[in-house]
Amino acid sequence: MNPTLKFLLAVLIALEISFTSVWVINVVLAALGLIVILWHRTPWKRVGLLLLVPLIPATALAVAMLMQGRGNNNVHFAIVLFTRIYAYVFVGSAATLTTPIQTLVMSLEQNAHVPSKFAYGFLGAFNLMPKIVSEVATIRAAGQMRGQVLHFWSPQLYFKAIIASLNWSENLAEAMTSHGFVEEAPRTHLTVITTSWWDWVLIIVPLLLLQVGLFAIPLP
Amino acid sequence: MKRSNAWHLRDIILLALIAIFCGVIFWVIGPLYNILTVALTPVGLGPAANDILMGVWCMAGPLAGIIFKRVGAAFLGEFLGSVVEMFLGGQWGASTMISGVVQGVASELGFTFTGYKNFNWLGLNMSVLTTTIITFAWDMARNGYASYHFGLLIALFIIRLISMWIFGGLLSKAITNLLDRTHLLQAQTR
Repeated sequence: MNPTLKFLLAVLIALEISFTSVWVINVVLAALGLIVILWHRTPWKRVGLLLLVPLIPATALAVAMLMQGRGNNNVHFAIVLFTRIYAYVFVGSAATLTTPIQTLVMSLEQNAHVPSKFAYGFLGAFNLMPKIVSEVATIRAAGQMRGQVLHFWSPQLYFKAIIASLNWSENLAEAMTSHGFVEEAPRTHLTVITTSWWDWVLIIVPLLLLQVGLFAIPLP
Repeated sequence: MKRSNAWHLRDIILLALIAIFCGVIFWVIGPLYNILTVALTPVGLGPAANDILMGVWCMAGPLAGIIFKRVGAAFLGEFLGSVVEMFLGGQWGASTMISGVVQGVASELGFTFTGYKNFNWLGLNMSVLTTTIITFAWDMARNGYASYHFGLLIALFIIRLISMWIFGGLLSKAITNLLDRTHLLQAQTR
């Protein structure tokens, strides 16, 4: 499926279930998301974490609703909130776990016409991720050598990170320019990402089915 | 001083890098959220963990706003941060982007209300205020806050406002004060 449309579908579904309270639909969506995730041979450990970690916020929301809610059908709404968290997690992960970030960015550039400077600029920065993780560790270690513990609320930690970013962004932008990247220039693409009629069917039909489930059939 | 509102490759990379740095720093405190939630759930206050840490998650917006001082900076900083978090293995998947858009628009609005003329305390405080109000309204729908009784609702709002002000306001200001002393930003963001 076209990456842009896939993310659009996931976001639209998540948005719609945020404003509706049909827990059966939430469960169905979560199950469908889980099937997609398993279909793509996601490691079992990852699936296990996806099942376990949301238990914390889901339980917290449900318990809070049971104890602090002021309506008459708190129990129903608690179930809705609990299942809604799982629907978010599995629908959302069904999109992210099956799409590498590079594919999504390329699709956004070609199909959604995001300016190429944003697409490639973001991609360039994103690929520095391992360096960034180690830079944060270095900054904190350097602080500790001088007996300075840098917490996440210490301005110095962010200050040093931003100074490093200033340096890297300059270098990276220069490197990209010297490789022939011109901001507004038209580009050709090695891999052309297309949108076929099938992609549109795959986004419209699920959305229509969702409307039927939410509004036409009286479900709890 | 005349400011340019155009985004160039270098600014985009810098903004993305700052967003990623913030994302990585917040990612380190991820367990904190879970611990807080578990600790508060037995008394029915689990959602308060969300409000206590809201300021940390929404910091990239106001921070990017006062660093770049131009239209769209706060939105992009916050939104890119959420995209990064999504691919870092955040548990929410694509749903993270919705929060990113909501928080991004929310923090951008504060600067919009000053007509993009004030990128100091006033703009920052406006941004803190709009972020608190809009993300809270969003949680009223999404996380069912609307059904809590009134006292708890007020308490959660105040907790969120304080958290936003400490991280989005005070900490962002402290960071830019340090940056101003280096004079590096004036040379960079013309």
